[in-house]
Amino acid sequence: MDLETVMERAGPREFGPGDELPEKYRKAATRMIQFHANSEVMGGYLDKTFTRKAPSLDRKLANTAKVQDEIGHAQLLYRAAETLDVKTRAEMLDELATGEGKFLNCFHYPVDSWYEAPMIDFFVDGGAMRRQATLKSTSWTPYAHAMDKVCFEEGFHVKHGESILRELMNGSKATQERMQETFDVWWPRILQFFGPTNDESVHDDFAQAVGLKTATNDELRTSFLNMYIPKAEKYGLEIPEYPRIYERDDGTMAVREDDLDWKEFWTISRNEYEGSTEQIGSRRRRQDAVEWVRESLETWESSAGPTPQTAD
Amino acid sequence: MSETPRPDTIDRRELSAEQQAAVEELLFRLADDEFVHAERLTEWQIYAPTLESDLAIANIAQDEFGHARLWYDLLKQLGYTEPECIWERDPTEWTHSLLVERPFDAGDWGDAVLRGYLYDVAERIRLEAVADTSYAPLADRVGKALEEEAYHREHATNWLERLTADDDGQARMQDALDDLFPAALSLFDPGPREDDIVAFGFRTESLAAMRTEWLETIGPSLEALGLAVPDPDEVAQSNGRGRYGTHTDAWHDLYDEVTATYREVDFETPVELRATEE
Amino acid sequence: MIWEVFRQEEPGDSHEHVGNVHAPDREMATLFARIQHARRMQTNSLWVTPRDEIGEVTAEEAAFGGRTDKSYRWAMTYNDIDASFAEEVADSESEQREAARKRREALREEENEA
Repeated sequence: MDLETVMERAGPREFGPGDELPEKYRKAATRMIQFHANSEVMGGYLDKTFTRKAPSLDRKLANTAKVQDEIGHAQLLYRAAETLDVKTRAEMLDELATGEGKFLNCFHYPVDSWYEAPMIDFFVDGGAMRRQATLKSTSWTPYAHAMDKVCFEEGFHVKHGESILRELMNGSKATQERMQETFDVWWPRILQFFGPTNDESVHDDFAQAVGLKTATNDELRTSFLNMYIPKAEKYGLEIPEYPRIYERDDGTMAVREDDLDWKEFWTISRNEYEGSTEQIGSRRRRQDAVEWVRESLETWESSAGPTPQTAD
Repeated sequence: MSETPRPDTIDRRELSAEQQAAVEELLFRLADDEFVHAERLTEWQIYAPTLESDLAIANIAQDEFGHARLWYDLLKQLGYTEPECIWERDPTEWTHSLLVERPFDAGDWGDAVLRGYLYDVAERIRLEAVADTSYAPLADRVGKALEEEAYHREHATNWLERLTADDDGQARMQDALDDLFPAALSLFDPGPREDDIVAFGFRTESLAAMRTEWLETIGPSLEALGLAVPDPDEVAQSNGRGRYGTHTDAWHDLYDEVTATYREVDFETPVELRATEE
Repeated sequence: MIWEVFRQEEPGDSHEHVGNVHAPDREMATLFARIQHARRMQTNSLWVTPRDEIGEVTAEEAAFGGRTDKSYRWAMTYNDIDASFAEEVADSESEQREAARKRREALREEENEA
């Protein structure tokens, strides 16, 4: 299939492993799904912190279940990416550990307090879920299938995150103040979660033309603001004055992009932020430490293996 | 399994002071082991060797937290609150064994697998030993926990088999066994009210008998995998640490981390997330 | 040799198990599967796989962890939180409610049979 045909046919769940697709499509889809999968893993490095910090046994259980789901999503997504025949999962995981693999901006900031749990589990996850819902109609079918299962599970994550926010904002004055301080720090990062405005985005035009992406950054950010600002305000969080958020003529909301630190954003996108170094370093060390187990399993698979490969 | 207690069982309202103290000791032993074991297992989340093994160890950690909750809930029926069981309880009053509080060295998946195995076999034995307990509320819950334990043992034995299949893995597993074995024996250390626990029929087996069963189960299995099981009489003795509340520094550090948010946020009660739909 | 057959109806659907065929090798299995399982049913793709290569998990094994309260992992448990503000959250919750209901019913049936 040539690119022109791909663009013509582009639509929800239009292409799958049986189709012969141009390299440009397969590479773009791989980049997108790999980024998504990497983000599930790297989000775990933040969320894992909250399991230990959770202030109730049931919160701890919920948190560990949530982290488990995220790893489950990574498993689904790496597989969906592998079906494009560009990279294997092992290659993608290697790239993540060496700092070549890219992932969401918010996961480049290490966390150390429970107050940050709703930042990740409510706002970032809520934003991610907005995007994931639109990806149910991506043109790469295995990706759409993965999104079906991911979206099925995510509702728990977002409600769990909101429940934590609500509890903290019903806490003592000191707790509410800590929450507001945390929000002030995280809010600009969350706004940048949806990336730069459309005309600055590098890969988006093509991804949309071939149906991989079905909503623009701008649309997603707008709908996120419409839903999540009222939520933040409902619990008593004040939206920081900067970055300025304004209402458009049609009643939707938008961010004044000049108020956001795009230098930091692009540093992050190159994995060169100080937090990137810390998070990726942690990933690499942890992966290296269990390399012996994977080697041991490989030895087992190739020798004592479960069932020998049947001859063709 | 019947929900109706046996006629000779004791309801919680009928407990004498002595009986209540013995039941509490039994429940805290069970609950603390599960809680601390689970807390350590969650350290593997995101760090496990593969995505699939990450999901599996996370599930086991959740199951063990869930079992801790079964036993803490029974203590709540006896008048304790969750803060009294966990969040505000002095770390020197915790009665978990020395095995479960040990921190994991980075990458020591052999420890995770073997610790799981040693623990899960012991857990099956001790759950079976309370299956016919005279304490009615406990009897109702044992089956639920036992069901989940079957997966845990399958998980542990499958991994053991594979990791001991090559020389490097074998050597690592032997190291892990030498390290863990003395601490694992403390699973069977008695607490101050051990005699009462057995005398009142709260547990139908003595710790000595359970220890023997455990040794007879793990010994041949591990030896069949080419591992040398240390002689229990020749390893460092725990001298009653663990079950009497004396713990390693690692426990105190862990306790501080676990309770840090609770101490700071000062919520009225810890949130419960329980079934709302039937 | 028995080969299990999985059929995908439309592009984008999952492959679902539809039956099996006896065949001496993979090529013959695809040959037979086409006739036996796709001659009338709409088919976009068929998979065949040796039956011996399939690992099975029984209902009992799949029910692991079925009886302790794991409500914390379901969206409905957070019933003081309103999901309706975001369609995708509300959809997820209703899908989870349905899945939890099915699981409960299956467990109940199992208990009744026991």
